[in-house]
Amino acid sequence: MSQGQTGPRPKRREKRGSGALTRAIGYLRNHRRTTGIALGALIVATVVQLMVPQLIQNMFTFITDGFRADVLLSIEPEFARQAAVRLAGETVESLDLQRVAAGQLLLNTAVIVVAAAIFRGAFAFVQTYMAETTSQGLAFDFRNAIFSKISRLSFSYYDRNQTGQLMIRATSDVENLRLFIAQGLLGAVQAFLLLSLTLVILFLSSARLALVVVAILPLTFIIFAVFGRISQPLFAEVQRRLSNLNTVLQENVAGIKVVRAFVRERQEAERFYAATDAFYEQQLLVGRTFSFLFPLIFSIAQAGTLLILGAAAEPILRGELTIGQYQAFSLYLALLFIPLGNLGFIVSLLAQASASAERIFEILDAESDVKEKPNALHLDDMRGDVAFEHVTFRYFNSGEPVLKDVSFTVKAGQTVALLGSTGSGKTTIINLIPRFYDVSEGRITIDGHDIRDLTLDSLRSHIGIVLQETNLFSGTIRDNIAFGRPDASDVEVMEAAKAAAAHDFIMSFPEGYNTPVGERGSTLSGGQKQRIAIARALLLKPSILILDDSTSAVDFATEAKIQQALDHLMQGRTSFVIAQRISTVRNADLILVLDKGQIVASGTHDDLLEHSPVYAEIFNSQLVGDAAPSTQGA
Amino acid sequence: MFMDGGRQLLNQETARPKSVAATLGRFWAYFRHYWVALLSVLALTLGAVWAGIQIPLVTEQAVNCYLVPNPQACTYVQVPPEWMTAAGATGDALGARLRGVGELVLIALGLLAMNGTLIGSAFYAMRYAGQNVIRRLQREMLHQIHRLSLGYYSKNEAGDVMSRVTNDVDTLQQTFGFALMQVVTAVLNVGWIIIVMLQRQWEFALLSLSIVPVMLAVTWYFSGQARKAFRRARREIGSVNANLQESIAGAREVQAFNREEEAIAQFMTSNDANRAANVRAALYTSALSPVLEALSYVNLGIVVVVGGLGLLGMIPFIDKSTISIGLVIAFILYTQRATQPIQQIALLWANVQSGIAGGERIFSFLDERPDVVELPNAKPLPPIEGRVTFEHVSAEYVKGEKVLDDVNFEVQPGQMIALVGPTGAGKTTVINLIPRFYDVSSGAVKIDGVDVRTVTTDSLRSQIGIVLQDTYLFSTTVMENIRYGRPDATDEEVIAAAKLVAAHDFIERLPDGYQTVLGERGGGLSQGQRQLIAIARVALMNPRLLILDEATSSVDTRTERIIQAAFDKLLRGRTSFVIAHRLSTIRSADQIYMLKAGRIVEHGTHEELMARRGEYYALYMSQFKAQEDAPQPVPVAGD
Repeated sequence: MSQGQTGPRPKRREKRGSGALTRAIGYLRNHRRTTGIALGALIVATVVQLMVPQLIQNMFTFITDGFRADVLLSIEPEFARQAAVRLAGETVESLDLQRVAAGQLLLNTAVIVVAAAIFRGAFAFVQTYMAETTSQGLAFDFRNAIFSKISRLSFSYYDRNQTGQLMIRATSDVENLRLFIAQGLLGAVQAFLLLSLTLVILFLSSARLALVVVAILPLTFIIFAVFGRISQPLFAEVQRRLSNLNTVLQENVAGIKVVRAFVRERQEAERFYAATDAFYEQQLLVGRTFSFLFPLIFSIAQAGTLLILGAAAEPILRGELTIGQYQAFSLYLALLFIPLGNLGFIVSLLAQASASAERIFEILDAESDVKEKPNALHLDDMRGDVAFEHVTFRYFNSGEPVLKDVSFTVKAGQTVALLGSTGSGKTTIINLIPRFYDVSEGRITIDGHDIRDLTLDSLRSHIGIVLQETNLFSGTIRDNIAFGRPDASDVEVMEAAKAAAAHDFIMSFPEGYNTPVGERGSTLSGGQKQRIAIARALLLKPSILILDDSTSAVDFATEAKIQQALDHLMQGRTSFVIAQRISTVRNADLILVLDKGQIVASGTHDDLLEHSPVYAEIFNSQLVGDAAPSTQGA
Repeated sequence: MFMDGGRQLLNQETARPKSVAATLGRFWAYFRHYWVALLSVLALTLGAVWAGIQIPLVTEQAVNCYLVPNPQACTYVQVPPEWMTAAGATGDALGARLRGVGELVLIALGLLAMNGTLIGSAFYAMRYAGQNVIRRLQREMLHQIHRLSLGYYSKNEAGDVMSRVTNDVDTLQQTFGFALMQVVTAVLNVGWIIIVMLQRQWEFALLSLSIVPVMLAVTWYFSGQARKAFRRARREIGSVNANLQESIAGAREVQAFNREEEAIAQFMTSNDANRAANVRAALYTSALSPVLEALSYVNLGIVVVVGGLGLLGMIPFIDKSTISIGLVIAFILYTQRATQPIQQIALLWANVQSGIAGGERIFSFLDERPDVVELPNAKPLPPIEGRVTFEHVSAEYVKGEKVLDDVNFEVQPGQMIALVGPTGAGKTTVINLIPRFYDVSSGAVKIDGVDVRTVTTDSLRSQIGIVLQDTYLFSTTVMENIRYGRPDATDEEVIAAAKLVAAHDFIERLPDGYQTVLGERGGGLSQGQRQLIAIARVALMNPRLLILDEATSSVDTRTERIIQAAFDKLLRGRTSFVIAHRLSTIRSADQIYMLKAGRIVEHGTHEELMARRGEYYALYMSQFKAQEDAPQPVPVAGD
């Protein structure tokens, strides 16, 4: 189905791979303010955080000084105490002062610690809140970008892609990316900041011990790199298998009636079981990798502390390092290993996010087959002259053409009837006029302009279409009729509904035009949906009207009413009609008879009846359905 | 859709408080099956916590025995007296003491390795159990999707069903993986540490731990606020999803009506509402962690102050001889180890909450009772002969609103029955009752005299071929789509079926012929071509009873005749029900039932009904009048 895609794709993916995440991060430039505030708050919070161990250390000094004073002052008998005091180079008064002051200083410093805690807390809050705001903004941007992209992609994109797949990318993948931006990116900045500042402090307090730490650090980074490398494809596979699982589900929900009718529950369950198994196995595989990453990182941090103890033993015993200095070093060491543990968590976020970023950019980079030219012409008024010049069209890049060298000319206001068997190319002709697809060869002109030279807006706003499959949107009936012209007045909406023979059934609802319509119009019958779709097209007052099998789901009494309305409306408009009603065909200015993508006959009813045996045959077989009862009564 | 989702969430919100325990109970019912894994988690975590707590004790020994020898505090070796005096160690003593430190460091490293391995294994065991439970839930949900009668799908949006199976299960994914494990580890750790602290110096311990209840209270308050905000956010993401789904489904209309800009603007509005709700929730979640961190610093301050003052004998109720500098240092480490997990639990609390909320939605879906239930003693339906009887059948989709009202008829084997009537008359309902897509509200539908409610639905439906108006094809090859109703059919049989219904030619012209993979909506195929594939699918099934609901509405009349002829051959002697707006199909029916407002108002052959000049005649003539102004066609071939 996607033969056309497989060619260029591998090359592009290679280029994307690692760059996708960087590119996603580049979107932060739209959120400079919040990102900047978050960064600033982060720096303040981190510096304050580094002050706390020093304050605690000071408190310890007060304690040990006070304790020493206390011990000296409590020596009995008195002469020994005074000797000891003299030996320490102090006086009883000064020691007494120290002892009392120790308690006071302790309390004072404790107040400073609390103040620092509140200060840091405030900045940490600003940091987290701003990071969260930024990440939500980024997710908002990405969802909008994805939505805008898929709203504009040509129909062939929808032919190839599944709703479930697109949904997962717009939701789950965006969320993965957001989590990384919110928690991972700033977390990484903070981790590195804390790491380097702590390293500086460590070097200042003991260069010798700090060297041991420096030896351990590269090991952790190598482990991170390896995990990152291993896990990214693992996560990409998780998302892929999740999409598969969702596709099976989506099909079972959307096609539930078919599944039931054909008693395929068991086979569908088997298919789903296979999908859940695949997902389950991948999740366990990820589990095997990650269950041990966090403990490993944590253990390396702890091992670092233990190794420092081992390395400090000799200098301590030699009297080159005091136990107090060692204690201070250990406290800062803990500060060094917290960010390392965080980095372990961030690595998993990173791997997940870059897998998702790639999937998001796959959509954003998808090129629409139907593109507007940069200097496209905006057509204010459209007369409605339509010409097909040697048009050939293929749905797939390879494969047989669905239309082959089709040429015809229609003057403004004429009605064209398209006839032919199923799959002969009628719908394709109709799809080409509003550029739902672009021609493979040849060209289509409206009022003499190649439609590829016009803006899509101006082209489509002059064309009213009723498609084979009717989709209504959630909202009221009024909203749905006014879909193409939200500014239409109530009177205009009602007129369109009357013309489409929809007014009566709409008024039969208790809420009339304000009756809500569910997803895919589930509260309305097929016939009712179609009439609303017709009213929707009529409200546009289009120059070109396209009706594709539009009344097939309506019972014949209603069909007759709609038909009358349509006949009236087609007057003065260029109309393309795929219909099996003889009145339409007979009144048509031009009848195109299609077979296997080619025009096999064209002309008016009378011409064709005389000259084209194919038409005569179709005409007769068509007639059976609508013939006057008198000819069939017996 | 939005309104529905909102209502559901509101219900959930009010139903919530009493059902948390029930939801946890339901989860337990699933986890119970993996009790071996769960016991392993517990044992492994306990082992890991034990090893983790031993490590500081071992390092304490290294200080107390070798670095700053203190015979009272050293239990690892007998401290030689000369170690106490010498300020700087040299020679043999230095070597011995370094070896001693080395030994203890190695023991600590061993404990550390043990701790890491045990925690990793516990993580994995937890994940194993969690993933198994998730897989079970996913599968049960699929079965529920299959089990629920079609009534459920007409009342609920497909998007909502999908969201339960994907989004809500996804939240469980996070809850059962990392979060639950963290909670288990944290609880065990905190409990153990508190016990150890109380044993060493209980007054000091109580003062040091005084901040813990405050932290729990703060967590409780903030997570409650966050939960409310998150619930709002979930509702908003629901509307974002609905918007997306709708726009993807209706992409053609959006483009055809030039509504891209408006659709994008509308999407942005709901997307923005979602962002605003999330940012509001972030206000609470962002505050929680800094507040807890600040509290842990305050706690640190308290420990040092209390320890210091206690050591100086300035706290009346603490005996200063029970406190040492070593104890203060140990308590600092202990409280840090105790408050860190609390902070972690706090961070994961929202996650656990959303897991519970997700569970509620999943279980409420699983608890949905299907309207159509197979009887426990249902027997397989023997091969259908084709006598279909409706005995006083009434049906209602909504209580009190009858869609069918006392419908009676009997169809003889081999008859072709046409159902006509205005939109909403109940034609499709009649057809839905035969394969038991819905159940009658009173009366009975019988096939060959057997009530359809007494037989297995499998045996019933596998003998009935149905072609629906809106064709659903699966995203697989044309071959597999046709084979859908009879998975054991050979390729030749599939091709024969396609030839029979005049689908072979166009299939051959597809890029990969029968192996062409179809898109979700049968991309690249016209509606008519898709109907042909659906008809081939039924033809291959060779059903004993055939139902056609506007099956050929998008196929041109010429092709329809070919199909008709094929069915005539196929269905020789088999019963069929047809809804079609084209007279050609209806006219040759053995019986035409004219329905109006849920009742049969007329029945008979086309000729009989025309002769009666009643409702059918009027309907028929109204169609004829519309054609009147068109000149009469001259050559009438055909029949």
